[in-house]
Amino acid sequence: NVVQAGFNKLWGQENLDLLQCPNILPPTKVEPPRISLGQEFLDAANCSTDIFRCTMTKIPESTSLLQKSRLPLGILIHPFKDLDHLHVIDCSTIVRCRACRTYINPFVFFVDMKRWKCNLCYRVNELPEEFQFDPETKTYGDPSRRPEIKSSTIEYIAPLEYTLRPPQPAVYVFLLDVSRAAVESGYIHTFCNVLTTTLGNLPGDARTQIGFIGYNSALHFYSLADGLNQPHEMTVLDIDDVFLPCPDNLVVNLQERKELILDLLTQLPTRFNNSYDTGSALGAALQAAYKMIASTGGRITVFQSTLPSVGPGALTVREDPNHRAGVEVQHLNPANDFYKRLALECSCQQIAVDLFIVNSQYVDLATISGISRFSSGCIYHFPLYKASRILQAENFERNLKRYLTRKIGFEAVMRIRCTRGLSIHTFHGNFFVKSTDLLSLPNVNPDAGFGMQVSIDESLSDLHTVCFQAALLYTSSRGERRIRVHTLCVPVASTLPDILASADQQCIVGLLAKMAVDRSMQSSLADAREAFINVAIDILSSYKLSLNLGTDGGGLQVSNCLKLLPLYISALLKHTAFRTGTSTRLDDRVKAMCDMKTLPLYSLIQQIYPDLYPVHNLLEQSIVLNVDGEEIPQPPHLQLTARCLDSKGAFLMDMGEQMIILIGPSVSEVFLNEALSVSSYNSITDQMYSLPILDTLLNQRLTNFINHLNDQKPFSATLHIIRENSPNRSIFIERLIEDRIETALSYHEFLQHLKTQVK
Amino acid sequence: EYIQQNEDRDGVRFTWNVWPSSRIEATRLVVPLGCLYQPIKERSDLPPIQYDPVLCTRNNCRAILNPFCQVDYRAKLWVCNFCFQRNPFPPQYAAISEQHQPAELLPSFSTIEYTITRAQCMPPIYLLVVDTCMDNEELGALKDSLQMSLSLMPSNALVGLITFGKMVQVHELGTEGCSKSYVFRGTKDLTAKQIQDMLGLTKVTGTAQQPQPQVPGQPTRGPPSQPIPPANRFLQPLSNCDMCLTDLIGELQRDPWPVPQGKRYLRSNGAALSIAVGLLECTYPNTGGRIMMFLGGPCSQGPGQVVNDDLKQPIRSHHDIQKDNAKYMKKAIKHYEALAMRSATNGHGVDIYSCALDQTGLMEMKQCCNSTGGHMVMADSFNSSLFKQTFQRVFARDQKNDLKMAFNGTLEIKCSRELKIQGGIGSCVSLNVKSPLVSDTEIGMGNTVQWKMCTFTPSTTMALFFEVVNQHAAPIPQGGRGCIQFITQYQHTTGQRRIRVTTIARNWADATTSLHHISSGFDQEAAAVLMSRMVVYKAETDDGPDVLRWVDRMLIRLCQKFGEYNKDDPSSFRLNENFSLYPQFMYHLRRSQFLQVFNNSPDETSFYRHMLMREDLTQSLIMIQPILYSYSFNGPPEPVLLDTSSIQADRILLMDTFFQILIFHGETIAQWRSMKYQDMPEYENFRQLLQAPVDDAQEILQTRFPMPRYIDTEQGGSQARFLLSKVNPSQTHNNMYSYGADGGAPVLTDDVSLQVFMDHLKKLAVSSTA
Ligand SMILES: [Zn+2]
Ligand SMILES: [Zn+2]
Repeated sequence: NVVQAGFNKLWGQENLDLLQCPNILPPTKVEPPRISLGQEFLDAANCSTDIFRCTMTKIPESTSLLQKSRLPLGILIHPFKDLDHLHVIDCSTIVRCRACRTYINPFVFFVDMKRWKCNLCYRVNELPEEFQFDPETKTYGDPSRRPEIKSSTIEYIAPLEYTLRPPQPAVYVFLLDVSRAAVESGYIHTFCNVLTTTLGNLPGDARTQIGFIGYNSALHFYSLADGLNQPHEMTVLDIDDVFLPCPDNLVVNLQERKELILDLLTQLPTRFNNSYDTGSALGAALQAAYKMIASTGGRITVFQSTLPSVGPGALTVREDPNHRAGVEVQHLNPANDFYKRLALECSCQQIAVDLFIVNSQYVDLATISGISRFSSGCIYHFPLYKASRILQAENFERNLKRYLTRKIGFEAVMRIRCTRGLSIHTFHGNFFVKSTDLLSLPNVNPDAGFGMQVSIDESLSDLHTVCFQAALLYTSSRGERRIRVHTLCVPVASTLPDILASADQQCIVGLLAKMAVDRSMQSSLADAREAFINVAIDILSSYKLSLNLGTDGGGLQVSNCLKLLPLYISALLKHTAFRTGTSTRLDDRVKAMCDMKTLPLYSLIQQIYPDLYPVHNLLEQSIVLNVDGEEIPQPPHLQLTARCLDSKGAFLMDMGEQMIILIGPSVSEVFLNEALSVSSYNSITDQMYSLPILDTLLNQRLTNFINHLNDQKPFSATLHIIRENSPNRSIFIERLIEDRIETALSYHEFLQHLKTQVK
Repeated sequence: EYIQQNEDRDGVRFTWNVWPSSRIEATRLVVPLGCLYQPIKERSDLPPIQYDPVLCTRNNCRAILNPFCQVDYRAKLWVCNFCFQRNPFPPQYAAISEQHQPAELLPSFSTIEYTITRAQCMPPIYLLVVDTCMDNEELGALKDSLQMSLSLMPSNALVGLITFGKMVQVHELGTEGCSKSYVFRGTKDLTAKQIQDMLGLTKVTGTAQQPQPQVPGQPTRGPPSQPIPPANRFLQPLSNCDMCLTDLIGELQRDPWPVPQGKRYLRSNGAALSIAVGLLECTYPNTGGRIMMFLGGPCSQGPGQVVNDDLKQPIRSHHDIQKDNAKYMKKAIKHYEALAMRSATNGHGVDIYSCALDQTGLMEMKQCCNSTGGHMVMADSFNSSLFKQTFQRVFARDQKNDLKMAFNGTLEIKCSRELKIQGGIGSCVSLNVKSPLVSDTEIGMGNTVQWKMCTFTPSTTMALFFEVVNQHAAPIPQGGRGCIQFITQYQHTTGQRRIRVTTIARNWADATTSLHHISSGFDQEAAAVLMSRMVVYKAETDDGPDVLRWVDRMLIRLCQKFGEYNKDDPSSFRLNENFSLYPQFMYHLRRSQFLQVFNNSPDETSFYRHMLMREDLTQSLIMIQPILYSYSFNGPPEPVLLDTSSIQADRILLMDTFFQILIFHGETIAQWRSMKYQDMPEYENFRQLLQAPVDDAQEILQTRFPMPRYIDTEQGGSQARFLLSKVNPSQTHNNMYSYGADGGAPVLTDDVSLQVFMDHLKKLAVSSTA
C-alpha cells in the first residue's frame, strides 16, 4: 500500500523489484550504512567504517531473531590502517576495566566523576585522579573531554608492564629465489633496484637490521662482516639438515653496513645469470632464515618463482592443467603441513613471513601460503611474471615499494572483546589464534584486514547497545611499545524489519566471502557456491516473508540496503576464487581466496566488483574540488556489462591495483587528441601505459580523475589504455561480470534463477 | 770411496756391496740385503734426454736399456741384463757404434733421466686447507706465510683454498663480483660422490683444463657457448686468481663461532681433509697435486675427531694409548687412513703443518703424510721462524730454478733372477703389482714391484729389501753380476712426465768360501739406517719391548757372525773397522725418540718417525746418533764423542740431532758470557769463539728441512736436558750396576752407558749358550 511504501521510503526501507532494475548500482560510491546510536555525540565518536564494520547496523536482540533474518552476523576490522589523524596518548596508567580489561572508551557510562561502568561487562571501576586532566587542553574537568572518551580509535604508548622483553630492532630478511626460473623472470633486478632506492625509508630506528639468503637447490648466504671489501657469499649445499654457515654477520645493522648491502644489491641481479639450477629449496631457506632471526623476531620476505622442489617441504606438481575449468577443484588444501608448522614456530619467535610469488608455473600456493597465513604474513602474486612486461613490472615495483616503506608493527597481539552475551567464534585473516580471543601477529601491516563471526549467546533484550573492542598491542618500528584500540558500538533491535533494514550489504559480502573460502577448503567449492546462492535465496525469502506478500508476489523484492547483495554474489560466483567452468590456474584461485580472507573491505569489494566509469565525457560531468582545489569530475558508476559500453565512448575500469581505459572505435577525435594526444584510434599502441600530460581541459580532467582514484589507494594503480579491438581487451571484457561468461549465468539469468527459488 | 761414488752417482747405498750367492748364506748375514735409494737425487749433470727409453721386448721383463747391457753394434742388437733377451735396437738407433753411443749406454750414466715429450704437461695443484681456529696473531702470521707462498708457486699451478673451523668452506676462485664459498658442516663426512654431486664437479680431461680466456670487465651473459669446467671454480691457475686469492686470504677471519669458557674450538680437521681429498679425487685424479693442510689444533668434532671440546679432557698421551684409554683414537685413525689411501691412489700428496703448543692429532693423521710423501711439520706457532722458514723451503728451487718437488711418481724395480723383492719402507704405498720378482717373505710394504710416491723431493729416500733366491747348488758363473734397475716415473715440477732410471750391478761371492769378501762390502751406515727403518716400521704396528728385543737379537747375531772372538771370552771380542760403529748406532737407536716414546707426545713420536722414513742416509744417521762438535781456544772445532765426558767447562758444544740444533756453553764459558767479556775489545777471541758455533748452527738452520728447533743453553740451564738426554751417560752412578743377571734372554737394559752396553753385548756375543 502506498502509505506503507511512503513510510518505508522515509526510513530508507523502500523495497524494489530487482527484475525491474537492471541498473541497480547507485551512480555514486556505495556508502556504508550509518550506525545510529540516537545521540549525536556517540554517533560522532563511533569507530570509522573504514576500520570497524559490522554486518548489521543493529544487532538482533536474540539468536532466533538473527536466524529469522537469515543474515550473517560478524565484524570486519582493518586495525592497522594508515590514519591521517590518530590520538596518541602517553600516560602512566591506561584506564581499563578491572574485570574484563576493556579499555575505557566513548561508550562507557560515568556513574559519577570518579567512577565509570564498563560497557562490556558492566562492572563499576574507579577512575584514576589523573583522568580528569585532559592532556589536550591541559585542564582539569569532566572526564568526557578526554580523547579516550571522544574517539573510538586511540593509541596508547604502553608502559613497561606491556613489554615482555625490551622492544627488538626492526629485522628484515629477504629470501630470494635464484633458480633458473627466477633468473629468467628478471624479478631480482627489480627487487634490487627498488630496495636500493627504498633502503633509507625502511621503517626502523638506528638498530634496524637486514639480511639476505638466495636459494635454488642450495642456500646462498651473504656475510656482510665488518672489514670485508665485498659481501662474501657462502653456499650451503646440504639442505636436508639446515645449518647457518656462520654465527653472525648474516643479519647486519643497516646503517653500519650500508656500503656492503648496496654492493650486494648491485651484484645480485646478474650473479646467477650463468646458473642453470632449476631447483628450489624454499623450505630449507625458510628454516635458515628462521634460525637467523629467531632471537629477535622480525620479518622474512620470500620471493618465490618456482615450485619448491628439493629439501624439506619439497612439493610435487598437483595441478592437472586439463582440469582447470572443471566443476570440482582439487588440492585447495595443503599437500603437507611443513609450512604451517614452520609458520607456527616463526609465530612463537615473533617472525612473520611474507610471500611474493613471481612465478611462471605452478608453485602450489595452497601449500606454501601456510607459511604466511599462520605467521600473520601477507601474500603477493604476480602470475606469469616477466620483468620485460612493463605493466606487470610496474605493478610489482609499486607493490614492492609500498610493501617496503609502509608502516609495520612487530611482536603484535590483537584481542577482540565484545559485550557480554555475544561471542566471537570464527576468525578470518592471517594470524595464529593463541587463545580464544587473542590473535598472535608477529607482524602487523596497514593493509591487512580481519573478519570475525559473532554469535548471540544470551538475550540482549535489556540492552540498548553492544560494543566490540579491538586492542592491538605492538612494537613500532622505532622500538616503542604501543596499543591501538578501536571500539565499535551498535544498537540492539528487536524486530525483523528493523534488522533487515540494518543490513550492511558490503560487509555481509565481505564476511560471506571469507566464510566461503573456509567452506571451499573444508567441504568443496561446489558447496561454497551453493551456499552463496542459498544465502541470497534465504535473505530474499526472509525479506519477502517480512513484507507479508504471500507466495504469488511478483518480481524479486529486495530492500534498499540489500539490493546489491545478489549482484555481489553473482560477481563472487564469477570471481577467480569461486568460479567454475572458466579455466583458472589453481595458484590464481588460491591467491584469490587468500585475498578474500585478508583484504580490507574496500579493496575486497573493488576486487569482486570493479568500478567502471565513462571517461569520454568528463567535461559534461559534475565536478567537486579536492583539498588542493583541483576539479575532480564525478562520472557515474556503470554496471559491469557490455550494455553500458558504447563504441563512441571511453571507459575506465578500476580494479584496485590496475586501471584499464577501453577506447571505443568511434570515440571522438577531440577526445583522442585532447585527452590522449593520439591522432587516431588506430595509432593507440598496445603499450600505452600512461596518460600524456597535456595542456587541455579534457586531459586535465581525466588526469585529475585518475589521480583522485589513486589517492584513495595505498599506492597508484597501473594504467593501460587499450583499443576496443586490441588483443588485450579480454582482461577488460572478462570483468564485465554481469554478462554471461562461458557457462556462467549472466546477472539477469542469476536473478531469474533466484526468483524460482525464493519462497 | 766406492760407496760414496755410488751414492753420488746413483743415489744408492747397499747394506752389502758384495752379494752372497745363495739364499742360505744370505739369511745368515743377519742384516738383510737392501739399499737406500733416492729416486730423484739431485743430479745437475744429467743430460736432457728427450726421447723414450728403449725397453726389453720380453713381455714380463720390460727392463730399460742400460750401460750393463751387452751390445752388438754390428747387428744392432742388445742383450737384456735381466732376462738375457736379445733385442733389436729401434730404427732411430741405426747410427750407433762403439764410438757413437747413446747416453744410456755410457757407464757414467748408470743413472739417467728421460723426458717423455709426448705426454701432456700437467701443472701442479696446490690445495690449501687452512684452519681458522686460532687467535688473530697466529692467523695473521699464517696468512702472511700463505700469501708469500703464492709468490713461490709456479704461475701455471692450479691453486685452491679450503678453510675450516666449525664449518668447512670451499672457496670459489676467480668469480666475478663478491667472493663465494661453499659451506659444509664439519660434523658430517661426505663421500667423493657426494662432493662431486653437490659441487657439480666433473673430471677434467684433455685440453679442457687450459685456462679459459676471460675478457676482463666483460661479464658473461646468458648461457656461455662452452661451459666452464666446474672444477675451475675451485682450482684456478695461479696467474688467473693470484689477486683474488691474495685478497681472500687477506680477509680470512678467525672462526666466528663463539667458544665458551673451558671449551676448545670446534674444529673440523677430519671433514675438511675429507672434502679436500674428495675435491681433488673427482676433479684431477692421477694428476700431481698436494693438499697443504695448516692446523692450529686438534680435530674436536666430526669425522677424525681426536679430542672433544671440553678443555678438562686433555688429548691422549702414550700412557692413555697403552692403557687403551684413548677414546677417539681408533676411529680417527681409521678415518685418516682411509683418506690417506684414497689420496695416495689418486696421486695426491697431503702435507700437514701443525702449529700449536699442544698436540693436534698428528698421530692419528700421520698416514696421510706417510702414505703420500707429504710433509709433516710440527711447530709451536705459525709465528715461529721454524714454521715460516720451513714452509718457505717447501718451495725451494734447484740449480735449474725448478721447484724441488716431484709429483705422482711410481718406483718400479727390476732385478736379476737370483734376487727377489721383499718390499720397501718409505713414504709411499704399495701399488700391489704382482710379478715373479716378488718374494714370499715380506719386509715393509711387499708383494709388489711398484710403489706410489705421490709427492717427493730429491732427498726422499726409499728403503728396499731383496732376497737372494739362488740355491746353493746352482753356482753363479764366474764374473756374473747381480743387477737391479730402479725406474721412477714421475711428474716433474714443470709438468713434464719424466722417467729416472738407475741400474746397478754388484758382484756375487760365495759366503762359504769368501765371507771376508762379503764382509768387506758391508756398509754399516746403510745397515744402521735400514735396520732403523725396519725397527720403526715394526714399532708402528707392534709397540713395546718386543721391538727392542728384536733389535738386540739382531745385533748380537751380527756380532756373533762377524766378530772375532774366543768362545766365552768377552775380552777377546773384536769387530772389523767397517762393523765397529754399528753397535754404537744401535745403542743410540735404542735410546732414541724413535723407540723411547714416553718422554714425547704421540704426535712428536709420529713426527720423528715420519722424518726417519723419508730422509737420506746422512740425515737419518744424525737422527739416530746426533753429532756433537766441540769449540775451544785450543784449535778449530772438532767432532767429539756423544758422551758426558765431552761436556767441559771451557768448551762450547754444538749438538745436531736433526730436529734440534743445540749450543751448549760450558760453565766457565757461560760465566764469561754473562760477564760480557765478548763485548770487550781485548777479548775479541772470546767473542769469536762464541760466534763460531752460532755461525755453524746458522748454516744448518738455513739448509735443513724441516728447520730444526734452535736451542741456546749452558751448563745448568733448563734446556741443557736436551743435551743430557742424548749423550752417553758414561759418568753416572749407573756405571757400577751389573747387567744380564736375569739370565737367558739377550735383552739389554735401557739407559745404560755405552760402555756397559758394549760389555754386555760382548758377553752375549761370545756366549756359547746364547
Ligand atoms: Zn569490563
Ligand atoms: Zn729383459
